[in-house]
Amino acid sequence: MGSEKQPSRPADEVQCVFERALEVIHSALVSYYRLSEDEARGAEEDLLMWFQRLGRRGGSGHMAAKMLRLSLLSAACQYGRSFQLWKLGGGQSPDASLNEALAREPEEVAVDLDRRFQERSS
Amino acid sequence: MTGRVIRFPRLPLTSEAGREAAEKVLATPFERRYEAAEALELEDPETLLSLCLLLRPRLESTPSLVRDEAEFLYRFIETPRRAIGLFDEREYFLGETALLAGTACRQLSRREEAHVWFDRAEAGFRHTINSAADLSRLGYQRLAERLEERQFDVVLEMLPALLESFQQLEMHDEALKCRFLEGLALLESDELTEAAQVFDEIVVEAERLGNSRLLGSAFANLTTIYGMMGNAEAALAASARAIPVLRRLDDRVALAKTQWGLATLLRETGRVAASIDACRTAQAEFEAIGMRADVAALNLVIADLLLETGKEREAQREIALALPVISELKMAPEGMAALQLLRESARRQEINRQALRDLHGYFEELHS
Repeated sequence: MGSEKQPSRPADEVQCVFERALEVIHSALVSYYRLSEDEARGAEEDLLMWFQRLGRRGGSGHMAAKMLRLSLLSAACQYGRSFQLWKLGGGQSPDASLNEALAREPEEVAVDLDRRFQERSS
Repeated sequence: MTGRVIRFPRLPLTSEAGREAAEKVLATPFERRYEAAEALELEDPETLLSLCLLLRPRLESTPSLVRDEAEFLYRFIETPRRAIGLFDEREYFLGETALLAGTACRQLSRREEAHVWFDRAEAGFRHTINSAADLSRLGYQRLAERLEERQFDVVLEMLPALLESFQQLEMHDEALKCRFLEGLALLESDELTEAAQVFDEIVVEAERLGNSRLLGSAFANLTTIYGMMGNAEAALAASARAIPVLRRLDDRVALAKTQWGLATLLRETGRVAASIDACRTAQAEFEAIGMRADVAALNLVIADLLLETGKEREAQREIALALPVISELKMAPEGMAALQLLRESARRQEINRQALRDLHGYFEELHS
């Protein structure tokens, strides 16, 4: 047993997972990581492109939609955090709640976001 | 820092264009790829993704080619350090190409190389966003390698945790692959009835998942098990289910193993000449794929069968072909005593039959 079967996840299923999570992602980027609307839209374009490829990776082709969504939220949080850290150039923001957001691990924030997403969906 | 923001210097490829670019890369000789990297769109993540998708199924038909291609891609991405795609994509492609190279090396019995490639895969996958899934896939390959090194206790100890990981990730096909390792560990421990039961269960689950590759491989293993049990009817029925599926998928590795299973059946039922022919057929297939360890192991099986018919000189020739390959590939760490006895007896031109049987018995189990 050397390899695995080819990923068979259809592109529209990946698109659907993305679209359903988009509101939560946008809100996290703008409200939590304080990106501007334009910056958030740019981030979302990149995230979509990346996510479509994630769905075709080895192994990811068979992963549950929930796990794919969690990966997407994690990537969104990493994006928001890295973007703000880059803009701040290593300094602190005058916005205390942004500093608090940047101090948290993106994966941890993603798990919180996913919980919120599930509460909204149920 | 993770989650870098990487802007594309130009428009990225569509997935269709990525597939076309990947075909062009594969059609270009290695030595021309670096200078033509830009024209080949070799740094585009769509090209790399398509290359990985094209190479993965070829592990069962042309593992040598996959090894070479995967090594090229790994080196290309790694040095000089190239910014590939978005977020974790560079690390993912490093991990994935190393995993492909390692898996191909495992198929080719190049164990030491496989170890190093799996370490490289881990170094890449450790930094991917989806690392739990990626590292679990790597964990499967490492356990398969342990199985080939006959470390059954390690395999059986680690298997439940890996299975649980795949189940938590809802990666059902990968979870089912873990059961192959369980079945093979039972087979190699001579618990044939239990092994057959596991593979019967795998057949049911593979059909439910619609995974033809796993279904074909399960029937290939059932052919071997029933062959070893001397159950002609069941072995032939299993091979009849395996062969059409494996041919359709061009799974030459499993096809050759099915043929070996039939050779075992013929031997167990006393049809020595037919068994030798079946071994030769399997051997030719392994030779064509580049699986030298299996070719050598079959030389030993054929030697034993030739001794059965009193053809000692021909048997010696088979052994003489096998011994250098076995030594070169370090195939028999646990069979060293038998290997030594056989080597000495071959030198004296009086084959030590027990040593021969010990050694090929070891390989037959190992490569079933």
